[in-house]
Amino acid sequence: MERAEIHELSAAYALDALDANELEEFEEHLARCPECRANVASFRAAASELPYDTYAPEPPAALKERILVEATRERPKVVALPRRRWALPIAATAAVAAGAAAVGLGFWAVDLSQQVDDLEAQQERSEEVAIMVANPGSDRFSLDGANGVLVVDAETQEGALLISGLEEAPADKTYEAWVIEGESVSPAGLFAGGDDATTVVPLTAPVPEGAIVAVTIEEAGGVEAPTQDPFITSGEEA
Amino acid sequence: MARGLAHLSDEALVALVARADEDALAELYDRFGRVAYGLALRIVRDPALAEDAVQEGFLAVWRSAARFVAERAKASTWILTLTHRRAVDLVRREQPRRADPLDVAPHESSDDTEEEAWLRLRRTRVQEALKQLPDKQREALELAYYGGFTQSELADRLGEPLGTIKSRMFSGLANLRDLLVEDELEEEQWKEPRSTN
Repeated sequence: MERAEIHELSAAYALDALDANELEEFEEHLARCPECRANVASFRAAASELPYDTYAPEPPAALKERILVEATRERPKVVALPRRRWALPIAATAAVAAGAAAVGLGFWAVDLSQQVDDLEAQQERSEEVAIMVANPGSDRFSLDGANGVLVVDAETQEGALLISGLEEAPADKTYEAWVIEGESVSPAGLFAGGDDATTVVPLTAPVPEGAIVAVTIEEAGGVEAPTQDPFITSGEEA
Repeated sequence: MARGLAHLSDEALVALVARADEDALAELYDRFGRVAYGLALRIVRDPALAEDAVQEGFLAVWRSAARFVAERAKASTWILTLTHRRAVDLVRREQPRRADPLDVAPHESSDDTEEEAWLRLRRTRVQEALKQLPDKQREALELAYYGGFTQSELADRLGEPLGTIKSRMFSGLANLRDLLVEDELEEEQWKEPRSTN
Protein backbone atom coordinates (compact mmCIF):
# COMPACT_ATOMS: atom_id res chain seq x y z
CA MET A 1 0.00 0.00 0.00
CA GLU A 2 1.27 3.44 -0.83
CA ARG A 3 2.31 5.58 2.04
CA ALA A 4 0.11 8.54 1.21
CA GLU A 5 -2.86 6.25 1.05
CA ILE A 6 -2.28 4.53 4.36
CA HIS A 7 -2.89 7.77 6.30
CA GLU A 8 -6.47 7.69 5.07
CA LEU A 9 -7.02 4.44 6.88
CA SER A 10 -7.04 6.28 10.21
CA ALA A 11 -10.74 6.94 9.53
CA ALA A 12 -11.62 3.34 8.73
CA TYR A 13 -9.59 2.30 11.76
CA ALA A 14 -11.51 4.63 14.05
CA LEU A 15 -14.76 3.22 12.63
CA ASP A 16 -13.60 -0.41 13.09
CA ALA A 17 -13.98 -0.86 9.33
CA LEU A 18 -10.69 -2.63 8.58
CA ASP A 19 -10.43 -6.37 8.04
CA ALA A 20 -7.87 -8.37 9.98
CA ASN A 21 -5.02 -7.94 7.48
CA GLU A 22 -5.60 -4.24 7.00
CA LEU A 23 -5.81 -3.84 10.75
CA GLU A 24 -2.45 -5.45 11.31
CA GLU A 25 -0.82 -3.39 8.59
CA PHE A 26 -2.32 -0.15 9.82
CA GLU A 27 -1.42 -0.72 13.46
CA GLU A 28 2.19 -1.21 12.39
CA HIS A 29 2.00 2.09 10.58
CA LEU A 30 0.25 3.74 13.52
CA ALA A 31 3.09 2.89 15.85
CA ARG A 32 5.40 4.97 13.64
CA CYS A 33 3.09 7.82 12.65
CA PRO A 34 2.23 10.51 15.22
CA GLU A 35 -0.01 12.25 12.69
CA CYS A 36 -2.19 9.17 12.32
CA ARG A 37 -2.30 8.68 16.08
CA ALA A 38 -3.60 12.20 16.46
CA ASN A 39 -6.16 11.61 13.72
CA VAL A 40 -7.32 8.33 15.21
CA ALA A 41 -7.80 9.99 18.60
CA SER A 42 -9.90 12.84 17.22
CA PHE A 43 -11.76 10.54 14.83
CA ARG A 44 -12.69 8.19 17.65
CA ALA A 45 -13.91 11.12 19.70
CA ALA A 46 -16.09 12.22 16.76
CA ALA A 47 -17.34 8.69 16.02
CA SER A 48 -18.25 8.27 19.67
CA GLU A 49 -20.77 11.08 19.31
CA LEU A 50 -22.67 9.08 16.68
CA PRO A 51 -24.42 6.81 19.21
CA TYR A 52 -26.13 9.88 20.62
CA ASP A 53 -27.95 10.57 17.37
CA THR A 54 -30.95 8.41 18.22
CA TYR A 55 -32.90 7.57 21.30
CA ALA A 56 -31.31 4.70 23.21
CA PRO A 57 -33.66 2.37 25.08
CA GLU A 58 -32.83 1.44 28.65
CA PRO A 59 -30.92 -1.85 28.80
CA PRO A 60 -32.45 -4.60 30.93
CA ALA A 61 -31.68 -4.06 34.62
CA ALA A 62 -30.15 -7.53 34.86
CA LEU A 63 -27.33 -6.54 32.51
CA LYS A 64 -25.67 -4.26 35.05
CA GLU A 65 -25.87 -6.96 37.68
CA ARG A 66 -24.33 -9.50 35.33
CA ILE A 67 -21.44 -7.23 34.43
CA LEU A 68 -20.67 -6.50 38.07
CA VAL A 69 -20.85 -10.17 39.05
CA GLU A 70 -18.53 -11.11 36.23
CA ALA A 71 -16.15 -8.25 37.08
CA THR A 72 -15.98 -9.41 40.68
CA ARG A 73 -15.35 -12.97 39.55
CA GLU A 74 -12.48 -11.75 37.39
CA ARG A 75 -11.12 -9.52 40.10
CA PRO A 76 -7.86 -11.39 40.68
CA LYS A 77 -6.93 -10.70 37.08
CA VAL A 78 -7.08 -6.96 37.59
CA VAL A 79 -3.83 -5.53 38.88
CA ALA A 80 -4.59 -3.23 41.76
CA LEU A 81 -2.07 -0.55 42.57
CA PRO A 82 -0.39 -1.58 45.79
CA ARG A 83 -1.46 1.13 48.18
CA ARG A 84 -1.13 -0.03 51.72
CA ARG A 85 1.47 -2.73 51.71
CA TRP A 86 4.38 -4.07 49.82
CA ALA A 87 2.80 -7.39 48.96
CA LEU A 88 2.99 -6.79 45.24
CA PRO A 89 0.64 -8.78 43.06
CA ILE A 90 3.25 -10.59 41.03
CA ALA A 91 0.99 -13.56 40.38
CA ALA A 92 -1.81 -11.21 39.43
CA THR A 93 0.51 -9.43 37.04
CA ALA A 94 1.22 -12.67 35.24
CA ALA A 95 -2.48 -13.46 35.09
CA VAL A 96 -3.36 -10.13 33.58
CA ALA A 97 -0.65 -10.46 30.98
CA ALA A 98 -2.43 -13.57 29.77
CA GLY A 99 -5.93 -12.23 30.26
CA ALA A 100 -5.56 -8.73 28.94
CA ALA A 101 -3.80 -9.80 25.78
CA ALA A 102 -7.23 -10.62 24.39
CA VAL A 103 -8.53 -7.15 25.14
CA GLY A 104 -8.44 -4.87 22.15
CA LEU A 105 -6.27 -2.04 23.29
CA GLY A 106 -5.65 -0.64 19.85
CA PHE A 107 -4.66 2.96 19.99
CA TRP A 108 -3.99 3.06 23.69
CA ALA A 109 -1.28 0.45 23.32
CA VAL A 110 0.73 2.46 20.81
CA ASP A 111 1.37 4.99 23.52
CA LEU A 112 4.64 3.17 24.10
CA SER A 113 5.96 4.08 20.69
CA GLN A 114 5.20 7.72 21.46
CA GLN A 115 7.45 7.32 24.45
CA VAL A 116 10.18 6.12 22.16
CA ASP A 117 9.62 9.07 19.83
CA ASP A 118 9.94 11.46 22.75
CA LEU A 119 13.09 9.78 23.86
CA GLU A 120 14.73 9.92 20.48
CA ALA A 121 14.04 13.64 20.35
CA GLN A 122 16.19 14.18 23.41
CA GLN A 123 18.62 11.39 22.90
CA GLU A 124 21.57 13.32 24.23
CA ARG A 125 20.22 12.87 27.72
CA SER A 126 21.31 9.33 27.98
CA GLU A 127 22.80 7.56 25.07
CA GLU A 128 22.91 4.26 26.87
CA VAL A 129 19.23 4.34 27.61
CA ALA A 130 18.48 5.34 24.04
CA ILE A 131 20.41 2.37 22.74
CA MET A 132 18.57 0.05 25.09
CA VAL A 133 15.18 1.45 24.13
CA ALA A 134 15.97 1.23 20.45
CA ASN A 135 17.06 -2.38 20.84
CA PRO A 136 14.11 -4.55 19.77
CA GLY A 137 15.45 -7.27 22.07
CA SER A 138 14.81 -5.15 25.17
CA ASP A 139 11.79 -6.03 27.27
CA ARG A 140 9.15 -3.37 27.77
CA PHE A 141 6.68 -3.22 30.63
CA SER A 142 3.74 -0.92 31.08
CA LEU A 143 3.53 1.32 34.12
CA ASP A 144 0.59 1.50 36.45
CA GLY A 145 0.08 4.95 37.92
CA ALA A 146 1.89 6.88 35.21
CA ASN A 147 2.10 7.27 31.49
CA GLY A 148 5.32 5.55 30.58
CA VAL A 149 7.29 2.38 30.18
CA LEU A 150 9.94 0.31 31.91
CA VAL A 151 12.63 -0.91 29.51
CA VAL A 152 14.95 -3.74 30.56
CA ASP A 153 17.84 -5.37 28.77
CA ALA A 154 17.34 -8.97 29.88
CA GLU A 155 20.99 -9.87 29.27
CA THR A 156 22.64 -7.11 31.28
CA GLN A 157 19.65 -6.56 33.61
CA GLU A 158 20.05 -2.83 33.02
CA GLY A 159 16.79 -0.99 33.20
CA ALA A 160 15.35 2.48 32.71
CA LEU A 161 12.04 4.15 33.40
CA LEU A 162 10.57 6.49 30.79
CA ILE A 163 7.78 8.55 32.26
CA SER A 164 6.00 11.35 30.46
CA GLY A 165 4.20 14.27 32.02
CA LEU A 166 5.66 13.67 35.46
CA GLU A 167 5.36 16.80 37.58
CA GLU A 168 8.43 18.05 39.34
CA ALA A 169 8.82 16.68 42.84
CA PRO A 170 8.16 19.23 45.61
CA ALA A 171 11.24 21.22 46.69
CA ASP A 172 12.00 19.17 49.77
CA LYS A 173 11.15 15.82 48.17
CA THR A 174 12.59 13.50 45.57
CA TYR A 175 11.27 10.65 43.50
CA GLU A 176 13.02 7.39 44.28
CA ALA A 177 12.99 4.27 42.14
CA TRP A 178 13.06 0.78 43.62
CA VAL A 179 13.70 -2.69 42.26
CA ILE A 180 11.60 -5.24 44.10
CA GLU A 181 12.38 -8.91 43.84
CA GLY A 182 10.38 -11.02 46.24
CA GLU A 183 11.17 -9.72 49.73
CA SER A 184 14.17 -7.71 48.59
CA VAL A 185 13.76 -4.01 47.85
CA SER A 186 16.78 -2.16 46.42
CA PRO A 187 17.08 1.60 45.89
CA ALA A 188 17.54 2.28 42.17
CA GLY A 189 18.04 6.00 41.80
CA LEU A 190 16.70 9.46 42.62
CA PHE A 191 15.13 11.84 40.15
CA ALA A 192 13.21 15.08 40.10
CA GLY A 193 10.72 14.85 37.23
CA GLY A 194 9.31 18.01 35.67
CA ASP A 195 11.01 17.42 32.33
CA ASP A 196 9.39 18.88 29.24
CA ALA A 197 8.69 15.61 27.48
CA THR A 198 9.84 12.36 28.97
CA THR A 199 11.61 11.86 32.25
CA VAL A 200 14.31 9.28 31.68
CA VAL A 201 15.52 7.40 34.74
CA PRO A 202 18.43 5.00 34.24
CA LEU A 203 18.10 2.53 37.11
CA THR A 204 21.13 2.15 39.35
CA ALA A 205 20.18 -1.36 40.48
CA PRO A 206 19.94 -4.41 38.20
CA VAL A 207 16.44 -5.51 37.21
CA PRO A 208 16.31 -9.32 37.30
CA GLU A 209 13.62 -11.27 35.50
CA GLY A 210 10.33 -11.18 37.39
CA ALA A 211 11.29 -8.12 39.44
CA ILE A 212 9.00 -5.12 39.72
CA VAL A 213 10.13 -1.53 39.55
CA ALA A 214 8.29 1.01 41.67
CA VAL A 215 8.56 4.72 42.44
CA THR A 216 7.86 6.52 45.70
CA ILE A 217 8.14 10.12 46.85
CA GLU A 218 10.73 10.50 49.63
CA GLU A 219 12.52 13.22 51.56
CA ALA A 220 15.15 15.04 49.48
CA GLY A 221 18.38 13.05 49.44
CA GLY A 222 16.56 9.76 49.28
CA VAL A 223 16.24 6.88 51.74
CA GLU A 224 17.57 3.34 51.99
CA ALA A 225 14.16 1.72 52.21
CA PRO A 226 10.84 3.12 51.01
CA THR A 227 8.78 4.96 53.60
CA GLN A 228 5.84 5.61 51.31
CA ASP A 229 3.50 3.54 49.20
CA PRO A 230 4.61 3.46 45.58
CA PHE A 231 2.56 5.55 43.19
CA ILE A 232 4.08 3.99 40.09
CA THR A 233 4.64 0.27 39.60
CA SER A 234 5.69 -1.68 36.56
CA GLY A 235 2.98 -3.91 35.14
CA GLU A 236 2.69 -6.50 32.42
CA GLU A 237 5.10 -6.88 29.56
CA ALA A 238 4.09 -4.73 26.61
CA MET B 1 -24.93 3.46 45.11
CA ALA B 2 -22.99 2.53 48.21
CA ARG B 3 -20.52 5.40 47.91
CA GLY B 4 -20.91 8.89 46.60
CA LEU B 5 -19.06 8.74 43.32
CA ALA B 6 -21.45 10.92 41.36
CA HIS B 7 -19.24 13.99 41.72
CA LEU B 8 -16.21 12.30 40.16
CA SER B 9 -15.21 12.87 36.56
CA ASP B 10 -15.46 9.98 34.12
CA GLU B 11 -11.69 9.84 33.98
CA ALA B 12 -11.35 9.71 37.76
CA LEU B 13 -13.76 6.77 37.77
CA VAL B 14 -11.57 4.95 35.26
CA ALA B 15 -8.60 5.52 37.58
CA LEU B 16 -10.59 3.88 40.37
CA VAL B 17 -11.59 1.02 38.07
CA ALA B 18 -7.87 0.52 37.43
CA ARG B 19 -7.63 -0.21 41.14
CA ALA B 20 -10.34 -2.84 40.82
CA ASP B 21 -13.05 -0.66 42.35
CA GLU B 22 -16.41 -2.23 41.49
CA ASP B 23 -18.43 0.77 42.66
CA ALA B 24 -16.59 2.92 40.12
CA LEU B 25 -17.38 0.41 37.38
CA ALA B 26 -21.04 0.52 38.42
CA GLU B 27 -21.01 4.30 38.24
CA LEU B 28 -19.44 4.25 34.77
CA TYR B 29 -22.13 1.80 33.72
CA ASP B 30 -24.82 4.11 35.09
CA ARG B 31 -23.38 6.93 32.99
CA PHE B 32 -22.69 5.10 29.74
CA GLY B 33 -24.42 1.71 29.86
CA ARG B 34 -27.50 3.00 28.17
CA VAL B 35 -25.83 4.74 25.26
CA ALA B 36 -23.51 1.73 24.87
CA TYR B 37 -26.54 -0.56 24.78
CA GLY B 38 -28.26 1.64 22.21
CA LEU B 39 -25.12 1.59 20.09
CA ALA B 40 -24.71 -2.18 20.34
CA LEU B 41 -28.38 -2.78 19.60
CA ARG B 42 -28.18 -0.75 16.42
CA ILE B 43 -25.19 -2.75 15.26
CA VAL B 44 -26.16 -6.30 16.20
CA ARG B 45 -29.94 -5.77 15.95
CA ASP B 46 -30.66 -8.37 18.57
CA PRO B 47 -31.22 -7.57 22.26
CA ALA B 48 -29.39 -10.62 23.61
CA LEU B 49 -26.37 -10.04 21.37
CA ALA B 50 -26.41 -6.35 22.26
CA GLU B 51 -26.23 -7.26 25.94
CA ASP B 52 -23.27 -9.51 25.18
CA ALA B 53 -21.48 -6.68 23.38
CA VAL B 54 -22.08 -4.25 26.26
CA GLN B 55 -20.98 -6.81 28.83
CA GLU B 56 -17.78 -7.54 26.92
CA GLY B 57 -17.18 -3.85 26.39
CA PHE B 58 -17.46 -3.03 30.08
CA LEU B 59 -15.38 -6.02 31.07
CA ALA B 60 -12.72 -4.80 28.64
CA VAL B 61 -12.89 -1.50 30.52
CA TRP B 62 -12.52 -3.39 33.78
CA ARG B 63 -9.51 -5.35 32.57
CA SER B 64 -7.61 -2.61 30.81
CA ALA B 65 -8.42 0.52 32.81
CA ALA B 66 -4.83 0.72 34.03
CA ARG B 67 -3.72 1.31 30.45
CA PHE B 68 -6.17 4.11 29.80
CA VAL B 69 -4.37 7.41 29.20
CA ALA B 70 -6.66 10.27 30.11
CA GLU B 71 -4.66 12.84 28.16
CA ARG B 72 -5.33 11.00 24.93
CA ALA B 73 -9.02 10.29 25.05
CA LYS B 74 -12.15 10.97 27.04
CA ALA B 75 -13.31 8.01 29.09
CA SER B 76 -16.64 8.04 27.27
CA THR B 77 -14.89 7.76 23.90
CA TRP B 78 -12.84 4.87 25.19
CA ILE B 79 -15.82 3.00 26.60
CA LEU B 80 -17.89 3.45 23.46
CA THR B 81 -14.93 2.46 21.29
CA LEU B 82 -14.49 -0.79 23.21
CA THR B 83 -18.21 -1.51 23.04
CA HIS B 84 -18.33 -0.69 19.34
CA ARG B 85 -15.48 -3.06 18.60
CA ARG B 86 -17.20 -5.90 20.49
CA ALA B 87 -20.47 -5.29 18.68
CA VAL B 88 -18.76 -5.22 15.29
CA ASP B 89 -16.90 -8.44 16.10
CA LEU B 90 -20.19 -10.06 17.04
CA VAL B 91 -22.09 -8.89 13.97
CA ARG B 92 -19.30 -10.04 11.68
CA ARG B 93 -19.45 -13.48 13.25
CA GLU B 94 -23.22 -13.76 13.18
CA GLN B 95 -24.82 -14.42 9.80
CA PRO B 96 -27.17 -13.50 8.24
CA ARG B 97 -27.01 -9.92 9.25
CA ARG B 98 -27.47 -6.25 8.57
CA ALA B 99 -30.26 -6.24 6.02
CA ASP B 100 -30.52 -2.53 6.42
CA PRO B 101 -28.53 -1.28 9.35
CA LEU B 102 -30.03 2.19 9.32
CA ASP B 103 -33.59 1.08 9.66
CA VAL B 104 -33.98 1.55 13.37
CA ALA B 105 -36.99 3.60 14.27
CA PRO B 106 -36.02 6.08 16.93
CA HIS B 107 -38.69 6.86 19.45
CA GLU B 108 -38.83 9.72 21.86
CA SER B 109 -39.00 9.12 25.53
CA SER B 110 -41.85 10.71 27.39
CA ASP B 111 -39.67 10.97 30.50
CA ASP B 112 -38.62 14.45 31.36
CA THR B 113 -35.64 13.73 33.52
CA GLU B 114 -32.38 15.66 33.53
CA GLU B 115 -30.72 12.73 31.84
CA GLU B 116 -33.27 12.75 29.04
CA ALA B 117 -32.77 16.46 28.53
CA TRP B 118 -29.02 16.02 28.37
CA LEU B 119 -29.30 13.18 25.88
CA ARG B 120 -31.67 15.26 23.78
CA LEU B 121 -29.17 18.09 23.61
CA ARG B 122 -26.42 15.78 22.49
CA ARG B 123 -28.73 14.17 19.96
CA THR B 124 -29.57 17.53 18.45
CA ARG B 125 -25.92 18.41 18.30
CA VAL B 126 -24.81 15.29 16.43
CA GLN B 127 -27.87 15.30 14.18
CA GLU B 128 -27.16 18.89 13.18
CA ALA B 129 -23.56 17.98 12.37
CA LEU B 130 -24.61 14.92 10.35
CA LYS B 131 -27.10 16.99 8.37
CA GLN B 132 -24.29 19.23 7.18
CA LEU B 133 -22.27 16.37 5.72
CA PRO B 134 -22.55 15.55 2.01
CA ASP B 135 -24.97 12.62 1.64
CA LYS B 136 -22.37 10.18 0.41
CA GLN B 137 -20.00 10.91 3.25
CA ARG B 138 -22.78 10.48 5.79
CA GLU B 139 -23.85 7.23 4.17
CA ALA B 140 -20.31 5.82 4.27
CA LEU B 141 -19.88 6.80 7.93
CA GLU B 142 -23.19 5.37 9.03
CA LEU B 143 -22.83 2.13 7.13
CA ALA B 144 -19.34 1.60 8.50
CA TYR B 145 -20.13 2.61 12.06
CA TYR B 146 -23.56 1.05 12.47
CA GLY B 147 -23.46 -1.62 9.78
CA GLY B 148 -20.18 -3.08 10.92
CA PHE B 149 -19.09 -3.34 7.28
CA THR B 150 -15.41 -3.35 6.44
CA GLN B 151 -14.30 -0.78 3.90
CA SER B 152 -14.05 -3.51 1.24
CA GLU B 153 -17.57 -4.73 1.98
CA LEU B 154 -18.75 -1.16 1.75
CA ALA B 155 -17.09 -0.71 -1.63
CA ASP B 156 -18.89 -3.85 -2.90
CA ARG B 157 -22.19 -2.85 -1.43
CA LEU B 158 -22.09 0.67 -2.82
CA GLY B 159 -20.50 -0.35 -6.12
CA GLU B 160 -17.66 2.11 -5.72
CA PRO B 161 -13.88 1.69 -5.94
CA LEU B 162 -12.23 1.00 -2.59
CA GLY B 163 -10.16 4.17 -2.92
CA THR B 164 -13.33 6.23 -3.19
CA ILE B 165 -14.74 4.66 -0.04
CA LYS B 166 -11.54 5.29 1.89
CA SER B 167 -11.50 8.96 0.90
CA ARG B 168 -15.19 9.31 1.66
CA MET B 169 -14.83 7.89 5.16
CA PHE B 170 -11.79 10.06 5.82
CA SER B 171 -13.40 13.28 4.60
CA GLY B 172 -16.68 12.44 6.30
CA LEU B 173 -15.11 11.77 9.65
CA ALA B 174 -12.81 14.80 9.40
CA ASN B 175 -15.83 16.99 8.58
CA LEU B 176 -17.88 15.52 11.40
CA ARG B 177 -15.01 16.08 13.81
CA ASP B 178 -14.62 19.70 12.76
CA LEU B 179 -18.35 20.37 12.99
CA LEU B 180 -18.52 18.86 16.47
CA VAL B 181 -15.47 20.77 17.65
CA GLU B 182 -17.28 23.97 16.78
CA ASP B 183 -19.56 23.56 19.76
CA GLU B 184 -17.03 22.01 22.05
CA LEU B 185 -17.55 24.76 24.59
CA GLU B 186 -21.23 24.04 24.81
CA GLU B 187 -20.43 20.42 25.34
CA GLU B 188 -18.28 21.28 28.31
CA GLN B 189 -21.28 22.95 29.88
CA TRP B 190 -23.41 19.87 29.33
CA LYS B 191 -20.94 17.60 30.95
CA GLU B 192 -21.35 18.99 34.44
CA PRO B 193 -24.79 18.48 35.86
CA ARG B 194 -26.24 15.20 34.82
CA SER B 195 -27.84 12.77 37.11
CA THR B 196 -28.50 9.19 36.25
CA ASN B 197 -30.84 6.71 37.77
